[in-house]
Amino acid sequence: MLELFLQVQWSPYLVGALIGVLSCFAFLSVGKLLGVSTSFARTAGMIERVFVPDRVKGNPYFQEEKPEINWQWMLVVGMLIGSFLSAWISGDFSIKAVPGLWETQFGPSIWFRWSMAFVGGVILMFGARLAGG
Amino acid sequence: MTPWVKSRNGQLLLGLITGIIFGFLLQKGQVTKYGVIMGTFLFTDLTVVKVMFSAVVVGAIGIHYLKGKGWVEPEIKKPALGRNIVGGIIFGIGFALLGYCPGTGWGAVGQGSLDALFGGVLGMLVGAALFAESYGFLKRNVLNWGKIGTATLPQVMNKSAWPIIGGLTLFVLALFVFIELVGL
Repeated sequence: MLELFLQVQWSPYLVGALIGVLSCFAFLSVGKLLGVSTSFARTAGMIERVFVPDRVKGNPYFQEEKPEINWQWMLVVGMLIGSFLSAWISGDFSIKAVPGLWETQFGPSIWFRWSMAFVGGVILMFGARLAGG
Repeated sequence: MTPWVKSRNGQLLLGLITGIIFGFLLQKGQVTKYGVIMGTFLFTDLTVVKVMFSAVVVGAIGIHYLKGKGWVEPEIKKPALGRNIVGGIIFGIGFALLGYCPGTGWGAVGQGSLDALFGGVLGMLVGAALFAESYGFLKRNVLNWGKIGTATLPQVMNKSAWPIIGGLTLFVLALFVFIELVGL
């Protein structure tokens, strides 16, 4: 049993099946979906509120998705802990500024990778919120 | 129908525990790795497809079973073709640049991938803020295009959900056999 946790990778079919079971558990226990992106929006609102509280208060989006901590926000906090535990226990944790595949294609520049990831993140999250997922 | 846990603190704790398991599984599936996710688009590594479709099949069977028992009442997202299609295309462009989706990118931070944090997560927060800023405008435009109601496949086909889930399961199993035969 313990050995299983020391493995770097589990069968993707097993992992998928367990995520399916976990999603049923989330439905049963709180009636919610295993979603992430709304929490990014709530967090953006929490950060903005520190600097421009009135703007956040008057924003129609933040009236629908209130910038506050809820089940899904804690889910996202937990995901970071869970991922760290998995990587740490199996020896897969490593501080890496540029992924290997990126480096072989586009070179080792940290700033290039980080700025492209930033631009990608902006576009991706705008699209995700627009699409509604 | 009614969730087990109603108290706010209980829900928050449950969210944290569910999240720990979710993040653990994503990392154990290695779908928090840039190379694994990009492998999907390069057709060199289909780990993401295996994880995703296994989760869809098991989740569909489980949730419809629980629904039949009357224990859960899944909320159906209100689709709108305009926002789904335009948003999906924009999402895809960003996804190709970033190489992580919101969930796997956040998980990648936990395994030490700094590009997911300083590039990805920062960008995603800015993207979410930009969306919130433009929400009033978008609501008068693209968000209203092509609303098609919440009819589900079983309703449209006037069937129980089970034959459709059966078909989905068979399709996914055939896909998995094909993937394994090809050796991806």
